[in-house]
Parts: sequence; structure tokens; C-alpha cells
Amino acid sequence: MSELTLLVLQLGFLLLLWVFIFAIIYALRSDLFGQRVRKLQPDVAAAPVAAAASVFPSSPVTPPPTPAVTSPAGRPGAGELASTENATRLVITSGAKAGAEFPLGRDEITIGRSSDSAIIIRDDYTSTHHARLMLWNGRWMIQDLDSTNGTFLGGSRVTVPTPVPLGATVKVGATTFELRR
Amino acid sequence: MTDQSGPIVGAPRSAAPPTASVRRIRLPQKLRNLELGLLLVACIINAGAIVLVQLGALGRVDTQLVLLGAGLSALVFGLHICMRFVARDADPFLLPIATVLNGLGIAMIYRIDIAFGDTGWESAAVRQIAWSAIAIIAGIATILVIRNHRVLFRYTYLSGLIAIVLLLLPLVPGLGRQVSGARVWIGFGDVATFQPGEIAKIALAVFFAGYLVRNRDSLSMVGTKLLGMRFPRARDLGPLLVVWALSMAVIVFQRDLGTALLYFGLFLVMLYVATSRLSWVVLGLTLFLSGALIASQTLDYVNGRFRNWLDAFNPEVYNADGGSFQLVQGLFGLAHGGLIGSGLGEGRPDITPVPQSDYIIASLGEELGLAGVFAILALYVLFVARGFRIGFAGQDDFGKLLGVGLAFVVALQVFIVVGGVTRVIPLTGLTTPFLAAGGSSLVANWIIVGLLLRLSDTVRNHPRLVIDG
Repeated sequence: MSELTLLVLQLGFLLLLWVFIFAIIYALRSDLFGQRVRKLQPDVAAAPVAAAASVFPSSPVTPPPTPAVTSPAGRPGAGELASTENATRLVITSGAKAGAEFPLGRDEITIGRSSDSAIIIRDDYTSTHHARLMLWNGRWMIQDLDSTNGTFLGGSRVTVPTPVPLGATVKVGATTFELRR
Repeated sequence: MTDQSGPIVGAPRSAAPPTASVRRIRLPQKLRNLELGLLLVACIINAGAIVLVQLGALGRVDTQLVLLGAGLSALVFGLHICMRFVARDADPFLLPIATVLNGLGIAMIYRIDIAFGDTGWESAAVRQIAWSAIAIIAGIATILVIRNHRVLFRYTYLSGLIAIVLLLLPLVPGLGRQVSGARVWIGFGDVATFQPGEIAKIALAVFFAGYLVRNRDSLSMVGTKLLGMRFPRARDLGPLLVVWALSMAVIVFQRDLGTALLYFGLFLVMLYVATSRLSWVVLGLTLFLSGALIASQTLDYVNGRFRNWLDAFNPEVYNADGGSFQLVQGLFGLAHGGLIGSGLGEGRPDITPVPQSDYIIASLGEELGLAGVFAILALYVLFVARGFRIGFAGQDDFGKLLGVGLAFVVALQVFIVVGGVTRVIPLTGLTTPFLAAGGSSLVANWIIVGLLLRLSDTVRNHPRLVIDG
């Protein structure tokens, strides 16, 4: 076998090694760059139009993160805090899957666009790792994971881990949910 | 946090509200099919490496070793098929990466056998293939036996005890063997030699994870603030001091710097991940560095290592007994390799002492060049990143810590070895995970692969709800 053929084969081997590495990187690209954003259907697209309009400074619409959709229920005055004893399920109250339920166990629940979240919300407003519901001494707390558009508890933006009252509305992207018995 | 995970609802990923009554529907196993594709490429790479070694060093193709390698590939596919049944949602990248690293190691060891003229059971490559088979079977057993990683949480203190016993085994008279200065081997008569410390690192990771989950509150909540960092109370320093004393004991009695650094680094990182307090890292590093400094002044062999590292090209040090000859030969080998290497089978890696175990990265660097070494390091980066990813996405604290610990132990070991060979840190005798000749290291690392696969399966296999906007 000539030296040239051998050299070509050796270079081909190095190339194959790198092709293998880039195949892996390509396969896990969603980990590196986040999930692909899906385009919204026309019926849900009303809110984004309002948000897009607010980009212009002259627009009368105030703070962009809160689209004009009013939350159906505010924070019920002095509601009982949700804990492992009294909350058993998470109910989606508005958004694409309104009415869907999710069982509350004893593990934290991650919310975001990433496919390893427990609740995966794929819309234009949700960050890859948006928020999480975690247990502190048996109480359910909502924590915003530095999301772009924020997490709202009863209409106000969550900045520090906050205990969630039963039946209070939590808003992530275009989806709202409550913790219920 | 005890194991009170309620019944896990095995709901299909894309179905809407998962309820207890939803049965698992047979979905196409996307992840496993991806893994199968990558495994096929991995096997082609491994076969290609062996054939290229033969073409480069012998000038002909000898089918015997390729057949042995094919047997090994069959075992890897066996592991893959097992996962289709018991760990359907496990990470699809770990297995192909481990396979390629293992195969590259075998090809390089075989290349050095050719240079030394070893054949049959004398040949380190044949023994490496046999050990790889045992290791992969150990990996399969891990994934079959441990169906839920939380089982390990119950055995926290037992695994701590096992780790200590494994560490002490080489010091038992009659059982322990001293190889090139370090007393980290056990053997029966003259035959099987095994490094129990390699298995001990897994037991230690399990112990640290369980211990820190139980006790981290007292380690992270209280303390006084100084220089912008919250330092722990003196009475909470106990665990850190115990592990520090343990690693110093390894340095003094087993004469093994690398292992000590590995264990201590593992504990420090898991402590940092569990408490997110930088002060632990500062305290730990100060302790270890002062310990290592004292050791370098008082212990001859540590002192020698430091001298070889700092003054490697001094002819006196180079020619001295136990001097920097090996280190410098390795560097010359790497330099000879250049950008694309001399080509598999065409370099002279056999000039360096122990080119197939401690110095395999220099041997590979000579024959595959900088491009090849970076490819190997990229594979390690991907492997470790998958482990961290599992730790990040995990739902329970024990699983998170265990995932990070197991991945970090591989990363740190690669750093200690490659850093030693390339003269970034003093050279210490550790094995390069998956690559280097040595059975205990292979078995330990394939068990780590099994555990990480099990963890990643549990992480994904959780009730979930998908809302598409």
C-alpha cells in the first residue's frame, strides 16, 4: 500500500472522528440553543399582535410583558397556602390545553420550553427553563428562573420564590394554571 | 427527602393530562434509534482504528483482532438492546461515546503490542478486550439490577463503609501489591491485579450524594460572613476535615497523589453543588494545597514529582533515576505528532515508558496529532456534559448530586492525567478513563456509564404535560 493511500486513510479517520462528534452535537443542539419556537395559531395570535404593537414607544399599551388578556381570577384575599396536604393537582385554566390536569407529587415541577421540563409549554413567551414549582417545608413555592417574560402570581410578577395560595392564578407565557385540592 | 416518590405515572410524553389510568403506549423509541445510529458509526470508527494500525505498523490486515473487536461490539449492542427494554428514555449519547473511547484505547494498546512484539495472552490488547467484555457486562448488570437510583440512597452509609474498605485493601499485608511506587493494587499470588480504588470512587460518589442530601442544611445555612463569603461554623467543618485526612492518608500510606486529589476534588465539588457556597471550595483548596505543599517538602516521592514537573528539561533531572525521562519523552512524542499526527501505527510511542496505560494520551497524541487529541477531549467534554445535564434536569436531590458527582469524577480524572502528561500539573499515576490499559478502571467507568444511563432514564420518565401554543 502506497504512503499516499495510507495518508489519505489516516486523514479520513480523523475526519470520521470529527464527523461523529459533530453528529452528536447536532443531535443535542436543542440543549445548546434552546427549543425551536413554534408559530402560534391565528386564534391565539391576538395577544402577540398587541405585544408587538407595544414595541413602538407611542403605543398606548402599557408594560409589554403583560398582554391585554385579563386573568380570570386574581389572588383570593388571604387564601390558604398550597401544601402537600391540601393540594393534589395542578389545573390549566387558560391557554391551549385549558382544563388539563397534572398530578402534584412530592417532586418539584419544572416549567419551560425545554423537553426535560415536567410541564412543557411551547409558545412565543415561554423561556427554555421558565419557572419551577418547588416544595419548601411541604409548601408549594413558585420560583421564576430568570425568564424573559416573567412569571405572574395573581397578576404580580414573581421575583423571589413565593408561596402559592390554593386557587391563585399563576401565569407563564400564554398559559395560566392553579393549584387545587 | 426520603424515598417517598409516589407511583410514577408512566404516561406517554406527548399525551395530554397524565392520569393514573393512562397506560404506556408503545411509541417509536426515537432516542434508542438515534443511539443505534451513533453506535454503528462508533463501531466503524473502532474497526477503522484497528485496521489502520495494522496497515501502518504491519502493512497488512490481520482479521483476528478485528474479530475480537467485533465480539466486543456485539456486547455493546447487547447493552443497547437491554436498554430498549429497561431504560427506554436513557440518554442516547453516553453509550456511543464510551464505545469510541474504549475502542480507540484498544487500537492504541494493540499498536504498542505490535511494537513490543507481544502476542496471545502476553498481549495487553487481548487482555484489554477481555476486560472490556467484563466491564460492559458489569454495565449491563448495573442497568438491569438498579431499576431506580433511589435504592442507592438507602445504602448511603454502607457505600461509605465499602469505599473505606476498598481503599484499605491494598494496605493489607499479603494482598496488597506495590507497582511503580504506589501501593494501590491487590493481587492473588502473581496473577490478577486490581485497583480497588477505582471502584471506591463510585461508592464514594454514592456516599457523598446521600450524606450531603441528608445534612446539607447545617452545612449551608449558618455561618459568619467574611470578605463577601459566608464561611461555615467551626463545628460544621467535620466532614471536610475527615475527607481531607483520608486523602492525606492516601498520599502518605498508599503513595498515590492522583487518587488523593481525585477523592478530595470529588467531595469538594459535590459539597459546592449541594450548598452553593464558594467558601467551601476556598477552604477545601487551601487545605489541600497546604497538605500537598507539606507533602512535597517531607515525602521523597512527592518532592520528586514536583521537581520533574518544574525542571523537566534539566539534563540532571532528565537522566536521574525516577526523573523526568518519561515526562519529556511523552512531550517529544506529542511534538512529533504535530497537527495531524504521524498516522496510526507509524509513530514511535513505544519509546516512552508505559505508553499503553499512564501515557496512552501521549501515544494517541503522537499518532493522531493535535486534531486527534482534541477529538478525544471533545468526546470527554460531551460525556461529562451529558452527566451534568442529567444532574441539572433531575427531579430529586440525590439523583442530581449523584449525576454531577459521577460525571465530575470522570472529568477530574481526565484533567489529572492529561494535565500531568502535558506538564500542566505534576504527573500522577491515574488511568485515563476508558482509554488506558487496566481492568479495574474499565469496570469502574462502565459501571458509571450504567448508573448515568439509569439516572437519565428516571429523569425523562416522569409524568409530564405538553402544551403547544
